[in-house]
Amino acid sequence: MSVIGKNTPRIDGPAKVSGKQQYASDIIIPGMMYAVTLRSPYPHAEILSIDTSEAEAMGAVCLTYEDIIPVIYNERSVSVPAATYRDRTVLPKKARHIGEPIAAVAADTEELAYKAMQALKVEYKVLDAVYEPEEAMKDGAPQLYDKIYFGDEEVIVKNNIGVVRNIDEGDSVGGFARADRIFEEDFELPRIYHCQLETKGCVAAPDTEGGITVWATAQSIHGNRQLLAQTLGLPLSKVNVKKITLGGGFGSSIQVNTVTPICAALAMKARRPVKLLSAREEDFYSHHKYPSKFHVRIGVTNDGVITAAHVKALIDFGAHQIQPMSFMGCVAGWFASLYKYEGNIKFDGVAVYTNKTPCCAMQGYGNPQINFAIESMVDIICNEMGFDPIQFRLKNYRGTGEEFWGQGPTIRSIIKSCGVEESLVEGSKLMEEWATRGKPEDKHGDILTGVGLARGFHCSGTAGPKEGEVIDYSSALVKVNEDGSIDCVTPVMDHGGGTWDALAKILTEVFKVPLNMVGLSPADTKNTGYDVCTHATRGVYCGGAAVYNAAVKCRDKLLEFAGRVMDEHPCHLEIVENEELGQGFIQVKGFPQKGRTIGEVAKIAQINSWGTAMYAESFRQKNCPPCFTTHFVKVAVNTRTGEITIPKVVIYGDCGVAMNPDLLYGQLIGSFNRGLGYVLYENLPHDERTGKLKNNGLLVDYKMPTAVEMPKAENVIVRHAHTYEPTGPFGAKGIGEAALASVQAAIANAIYNATGIRFTKLPITPEIMLKALQEKGLAHK
Amino acid sequence: MSKHDITLNVNGKKYELTVNSNELLLNVLRDKLFLTGSKYGCGIAECGACTILKDDESYFACMVPAVAADGWNITTVEGLADGDKLNPVQQAFIDNSAIQCGFCVPGMVVTSTALLRENPDPDEDFVKDYLRGNFCRCTGYVAMVKSVLDAASKMKEAK
Ligand code: FES
Ligand code: FES
Repeated sequence: MSVIGKNTPRIDGPAKVSGKQQYASDIIIPGMMYAVTLRSPYPHAEILSIDTSEAEAMGAVCLTYEDIIPVIYNERSVSVPAATYRDRTVLPKKARHIGEPIAAVAADTEELAYKAMQALKVEYKVLDAVYEPEEAMKDGAPQLYDKIYFGDEEVIVKNNIGVVRNIDEGDSVGGFARADRIFEEDFELPRIYHCQLETKGCVAAPDTEGGITVWATAQSIHGNRQLLAQTLGLPLSKVNVKKITLGGGFGSSIQVNTVTPICAALAMKARRPVKLLSAREEDFYSHHKYPSKFHVRIGVTNDGVITAAHVKALIDFGAHQIQPMSFMGCVAGWFASLYKYEGNIKFDGVAVYTNKTPCCAMQGYGNPQINFAIESMVDIICNEMGFDPIQFRLKNYRGTGEEFWGQGPTIRSIIKSCGVEESLVEGSKLMEEWATRGKPEDKHGDILTGVGLARGFHCSGTAGPKEGEVIDYSSALVKVNEDGSIDCVTPVMDHGGGTWDALAKILTEVFKVPLNMVGLSPADTKNTGYDVCTHATRGVYCGGAAVYNAAVKCRDKLLEFAGRVMDEHPCHLEIVENEELGQGFIQVKGFPQKGRTIGEVAKIAQINSWGTAMYAESFRQKNCPPCFTTHFVKVAVNTRTGEITIPKVVIYGDCGVAMNPDLLYGQLIGSFNRGLGYVLYENLPHDERTGKLKNNGLLVDYKMPTAVEMPKAENVIVRHAHTYEPTGPFGAKGIGEAALASVQAAIANAIYNATGIRFTKLPITPEIMLKALQEKGLAHK
Repeated sequence: MSKHDITLNVNGKKYELTVNSNELLLNVLRDKLFLTGSKYGCGIAECGACTILKDDESYFACMVPAVAADGWNITTVEGLADGDKLNPVQQAFIDNSAIQCGFCVPGMVVTSTALLRENPDPDEDFVKDYLRGNFCRCTGYVAMVKSVLDAASKMKEAK
């Protein structure tokens, strides 16, 4: 029985529930040293000198700017070098945000390392700092950088402007001129923190051949290897990064994590294995989601056609570039692909350096941000012009046959599967309160309820028919063992969404074997071809396609052997399922009378010295199909306290064929939970006097939703659309990042429906809600 | 720094150890006994990733000085199963697809085990409230809450 589309227990389930699953932080090597970093107490300071003598006298090994190879890099290597800005080194000469590592020490125990770190003597020249992008762009503002690099070119930084990206398509002037009404609004989304449960860490062990083996929190083992080889000055063949389970990523390990090259350099200097784990407080200062400000203009005709849209974006990306360039391209793409706008769009983006923690991808790479703006605008338009929100969306959305930007303007493909209509129509039936939601002015009482709708999407991978500014391919090796079981070696990572289960299922389907006959082998950068990264919701669609293509070619080889065994031409042979035999059965097409199991054929091939049926492949998809989501959310606003609760949600996901529906639903529900945090609680304000986070990096002062804030289980209604993606492995596309895209706007639109108050700035904390209710005269005492 | 000789009973095994007065139980479990199932997530009693049992009661191992645990009867996540036979909560987490990255899962199943020992017949609100000290960034909790309720009903049936 095929397991595709069926719920099967997670393969790594037993290891994870029994504490046996190993993560990078669990690696222990005999003779291992423990490392600690010294982090900048200043938001902006030149480092004049670091005296390590006292620490060294304590037996510690120290690493400062003097010890590193001053390679200037960008730790996120998924874009092509020619589209990548570079501005940083392993350790800096100048600290540009609080919590930036400026030196590191390793010692026999963690305690000794900590004491040695405290014994480092650093001379700083403290500089003025700047925290807000508007301030940073002013003449005379403190400058974070004089020069940086774009590809190989030197770039002089002016007014802290890191990246400018303008995109203009169609005729937006004409489009706006044709509109009957033009809507205009400002939106603001906060800086928040990934809070993946495993803090960033690394274990590095030098070998006797001058090389190094590394276990790190990583979404891409090859990305880590390439940067480590560069910063250690080693050939790639001397750097081995091991694939290991990641305790949550959400985008924060697409880039090589800051502690990883530090740990590797320390290990090479000490000639001993070193473990370097971030404390939570340090991790809090290491990676944030891009805070974003948008000005949005949309033109609409009286019959409900959007004729043009213009988005201006201002992005504060902090002290280093982890690719705000591609981030802004993506924001433009998500915006451009959500509706048709008659092809008339304009995007003007500016991304600015500030003395704050560097920002990076966090589930959606700008999609949740811009989706909040556009889907709020659509709600405003429908309310003001009296359009039905579902019909308006159906009239204007980009669906099958339309062009979709998978990763900014250079990567586009045509949509071939689309569950938007099903999701909107069926979703509205599942949320019974949708039809009776009424208008804000009809609502009374001290608890106001409302229902909101928003739709979103994300790409599945970043591979258009034409190669663009993002690298996208994966590798896999597949072989049939002599008992009919299957091995697969691939560097593709899984952050918990279930990518590895999906890969195993793809193999079962090609070879018609049960799930327990398939194994994913331990993998590292030495025994696998390149894989760009598990990001951009590409794990199943792109990584899975590499496994699929390697498997099919391996199967062809096996059928060739079978042809020799059975005296048939391989083109007449097929593999069918045989439950009794417990493995794939090769027969002449349609004739089950005579045949051989795949194991028998593999064994005969071995005994006759024909070889092993195996194939290694690196494969690039040629599409980046959108996976779609739709959220209907019911909210209840307490007009006495300002508290907002969610009694019910309907979530529709369209991922093509769902490899494992339960795991799909898990991602959709988990994303809803994170979206809830983004809309209602999370924010990382800085103290303008000190540059510190107001929560000081403490989890206790960073409110996130727990089990209690979720609706009752029976009121979390999750479905998936019945679609089949023709270019995906067995009809599959992605879901991961799409799952978050429309949560924010759906909740905000529901709050509007309940109260008549439109929030264009997040988060909407109880204090903010209460204040708005008071201003509107809706607050109850 | 004073040193102390302590005895820990962990997962049915007795360990005699010498520890510093500032050493934490979590570090002793992970770095000295190689029981790395208990995780570090915050170190300040905010995430529950380090949860262990002392007898039937759950504790954050990141908050317990090792010296204070002298003589304790400890169960870590590694000790919940009976050989390869998972305990009902562990099995329910698999059956209800409550696992994603899995980093919170050791703490979750330990806390949930304590929950069911304290209250074998909980309702949804009780479970949600009990799990409040255990943070999960991946799953959105719904499947975890279902798992605990499922384990409770399976345990009742088995009686
Ligand atoms: S590590 Fe102990 S509660 Fe977080
Ligand atoms: S499964 Fe990842 S934190 Fe819970």
